[in-house]
Amino acid sequence: MAIPFPSEEWVAVYKEKINSNPNYKESGANWEHGTIALVIQFDQDTLEKIKKDPVLGKQMHEGETSVGAWLDLYHGVCKEAKRVTAEEAQNAKFVIAGDYSRWKSVMKKELDPVKGMMQGKLKLKGDLPTIVRFVKAAQDLVDSATMVDTKFIDE
Amino acid sequence: MYDANLNFIFRNPTKIIFGKGSANEVLEEVEALKGKKVLLVTDKFLEKSEMVEKVKKSLSNKFAGMFSDIEPDTGVHIVNKGADYARSIGADCIVTVGGGSSIDTAKGIAIVLELGGKIEDHSGINFLTKPITPHIVIPTTAGTGSEVTYAAVIKDHAKHRKLLYADNYIVPNVGILDPLMTISMPPNITAGTGMDAMSHCIEAMHSQQATPITDGLALQGIRLIVEYLPKAVDNGKDIMARGQMQIGANLAGVAFGNAQVGVVHALAHSVGGRFGVPHGVANSILLPYCIEYNLDAVADKYKLAAQAMGVDIKGLSDEAAAHKAAEAIWTLTKRVKMPQKLREVGVKEDGLQQVAEDAISDGSIVYNAKSIFDPKETLKILKQAF
Repeated sequence: MAIPFPSEEWVAVYKEKINSNPNYKESGANWEHGTIALVIQFDQDTLEKIKKDPVLGKQMHEGETSVGAWLDLYHGVCKEAKRVTAEEAQNAKFVIAGDYSRWKSVMKKELDPVKGMMQGKLKLKGDLPTIVRFVKAAQDLVDSATMVDTKFIDE
Repeated sequence: MYDANLNFIFRNPTKIIFGKGSANEVLEEVEALKGKKVLLVTDKFLEKSEMVEKVKKSLSNKFAGMFSDIEPDTGVHIVNKGADYARSIGADCIVTVGGGSSIDTAKGIAIVLELGGKIEDHSGINFLTKPITPHIVIPTTAGTGSEVTYAAVIKDHAKHRKLLYADNYIVPNVGILDPLMTISMPPNITAGTGMDAMSHCIEAMHSQQATPITDGLALQGIRLIVEYLPKAVDNGKDIMARGQMQIGANLAGVAFGNAQVGVVHALAHSVGGRFGVPHGVANSILLPYCIEYNLDAVADKYKLAAQAMGVDIKGLSDEAAAHKAAEAIWTLTKRVKMPQKLREVGVKEDGLQQVAEDAISDGSIVYNAKSIFDPKETLKILKQAF
């Protein structure tokens, strides 16, 4: 069954997909630069749909307009993945933020995540050269996300 | 040549004024931007030049002060000092007369003057929250294209890092291309900056973000540079050549400002960082080797570039014509007396591995025609160029 993005369940399955992706294991083998948080910002229309969703609606806190997915990555392995608030996400070493629609484009492989950061479509807080060095790993993380049977709330 | 799903946004917001003596029109542009007190930014070398004096005079009573503490690779301490000075004189508009470093410094000052704090607080891509202080650029070189680009690189010397500022708000409001402002450039700087512009054209074309619009601009840039760079190098007082080079560099700036650059710049930044090789010189040496490296991915683009450089491509396959493009670059760089090998400009062979690794972390490499993830690939190019 498709899992709504970005629910706690979705993040948990995402971790499994990362860890079962041999390509990421190889491309992320030298990653020892800390945690990455993906912050997903919702527009009003999407927020309304989220409120009505039985899974996402319950997980959204009152007044929240964005959420984070926290990834603790080390040497090609995702040690921990959890859904966090946007505020908690700011504690990650790298924070990549973008509109829901941008993330959807990334997950549909219409937008390369690193190019998205270079173009400002996704905003990076953290050292850009470090991320650039791991372009392939970033792409493999996206590939892992596409392996999750995902339900987009606006579709 | 282009993807069936091609989609892009093309931006070119800078007003361009071109012509001999057009620097005299600066006051009109300041007034159009509602500037009342102008900070003039230039470097120590130009500070007392006739060119700067002319601009200062044209600004009349709108001239509020001059900041000239510019160094070749501008730093956060310089920008913050400039911003403090700009605040102290109540500046609400910036006019830059100079090359890349002066322009990047002024872009930084324009950010801090409007948004407050220190320049370090605003680094990143698309992090600016509102338009910055109006900025008019009068370039004294023909190469960087900075008068139309959305980025500035400012060094944090204390922390040994380069900070990137990239935002559409950074694009200068006006670029005044006055050929008279470039006639005092010596031949070696003319050649180096001109080859920087040529690299912008070719890199824009082989970028993964190239579009039919940027390719059109780049191809015309190539035509102008091939024809007029040797003339400008031979005779710096050739106003026609100087003007056409400014236009060529400007076209290149708009092209790469939208399409981005690739492996040539990634390597040139790294060679510059490790060995202090001037940016244009590094680009000039590396460009043909990078064409050869990318050849199997974008031979069709290089065929167009070869044609724009005057190569007879009739009957040639894309690949054969692409090799001719690399050869045409070598012919041009020899003609304008540029160094041909990295070893000629102080690069040490035992430093190539580090340069290759640095280049992999450079943002430019993301857009290169061929995706490069492994420093072994960049090392291959460097060894050939060594």
